[in-house]
Amino acid sequence: MWKVCKYTLIDLARNKFALGYALLLMLVTMGLFMLEGDPTKALISTTQVALALVPLLSVVFTIIYFYNQYEFTVLLAVQPMHRRNIVMGQLVAVALALLVAFLFGVGLPVLVYAPGGAGYTLLLTGAALTAVFTAIGGLIAVKNRDRARGVGIGLVTWVIMVLVYDAILLWIMFSFSDRPIEPVIVPLAALNPIDLARILIMLKIDLAALLGYTGAVYQQFFGSAGGMLVSLFALFLWVVLPTFWTVSAFRRKNL
Amino acid sequence: MDNVVLNNVGKRYGKLWALRNVNAAFASGEVIMVIGPNGSGKTTLIKCILGLVRATEGAIQVRGLDVNGDPKYRHAIGYMPQLSEFPRELTVEQLLNMMNDIRNAVPGSTDDRLIGALGVDGLLNKRVSTLSGGMRQKVSAVLAFRYKPSVLILDEPTAGLDPISAGTLLEAVMETKRNGATVMITSHIMEEVQQLGDRMAYLQDGNLRALLAPETVMDVTGEKLLSKALPKYLAKLPKNHVESL
Repeated sequence: MWKVCKYTLIDLARNKFALGYALLLMLVTMGLFMLEGDPTKALISTTQVALALVPLLSVVFTIIYFYNQYEFTVLLAVQPMHRRNIVMGQLVAVALALLVAFLFGVGLPVLVYAPGGAGYTLLLTGAALTAVFTAIGGLIAVKNRDRARGVGIGLVTWVIMVLVYDAILLWIMFSFSDRPIEPVIVPLAALNPIDLARILIMLKIDLAALLGYTGAVYQQFFGSAGGMLVSLFALFLWVVLPTFWTVSAFRRKNL
Repeated sequence: MDNVVLNNVGKRYGKLWALRNVNAAFASGEVIMVIGPNGSGKTTLIKCILGLVRATEGAIQVRGLDVNGDPKYRHAIGYMPQLSEFPRELTVEQLLNMMNDIRNAVPGSTDDRLIGALGVDGLLNKRVSTLSGGMRQKVSAVLAFRYKPSVLILDEPTAGLDPISAGTLLEAVMETKRNGATVMITSHIMEEVQQLGDRMAYLQDGNLRALLAPETVMDVTGEKLLSKALPKYLAKLPKNHVESL
């Protein structure tokens, strides 16, 4: 697996998209910090941008990369190695390349302008989202032979997780606003890795106080050590389960 | 020794049988030309042997090892696909090193003659993205022959190659055969089939209709060209005739 990973990383290190991704993130992040006088406000804006951009670009890049590599992947499958090593090597390499780009593009400005708990949480959750959406992108690419269909599914997945899911949660909260539904909302929020990342960062910025009772419930659960562990475990599952499914599907796939 | 043995092999995609009831044994030192009309199952047969596709029924063995078992049997295999694509930002040298790493090849154990013979030595520092289709085919050929395979599978190997390189490649095929390898080549070019093949495996609608020497077909039909002899021969075969072991 590490042999495939090594050479895939060399290939990705020269990939113009990866470089452009890092530069885009850096431009946006630095621009927000420079335009906004208050680093906390800039961090909030950066969070919103990162939580939208990172999943989108991770899933689309992964899908397109896997499709572009399809013929070579077939050649690798003819070599004396297990298929799981091929797909894991490629997934790890893509995730690492995107992670480095993210840490460079967002991490450097954050370390300069807003070092601290909230900034580090943004970097940690951003890294986690990179891994999550790389795994999801790999799964979509392996399960779908058609490139246009695969990219379409990736975009729809992103739209659902960034927009639709939150809209549904808001509708539930509004519809049942006269009832104590926070015990239901908390686990539902944890089911979406983007919402989970957003909550963890907001708690560090101490915005929970602005959210009234809901914020207090979030603070009570996610702010505790146990809640943090549950959150990290949920993000871990979001990486592991799609990856496991990808490897399983690739092993059985007719190439 | 039979390097490749197919026992009642069949492959179904949904309701469609791409291969059915294929029985054959290919010996060492033999060139098998795999031919047939489009959609006859040639590519599926090749992919089943390579382990790219799992047969729905039957068994395939390469040098006595089941292709659905441990992938170690693929140490014996060299494969040149019809279309060659590689990671675009790797240099040719890095690509060759990658395959060496994957195969745990010891320095000096590889057959690098084709690197010079096909002019790939001049491409080693070039990135794959700068190579033409023909150049990529040459790199693909180098990779197929490099590890001294016992079973060499070439999918339309001369497509995209200039005539001189095609000739060099075919000479390499004959030398590999003389070294005891089983060579399987898919081709639509009857002159190649006639020139190279010890036997030809003719597939039609997923069935192996004929497995015999080109000379036999020409002798039976009295034709001097295989392109004319083969249709005559097939017309004489019983409608449901399939080869068996």
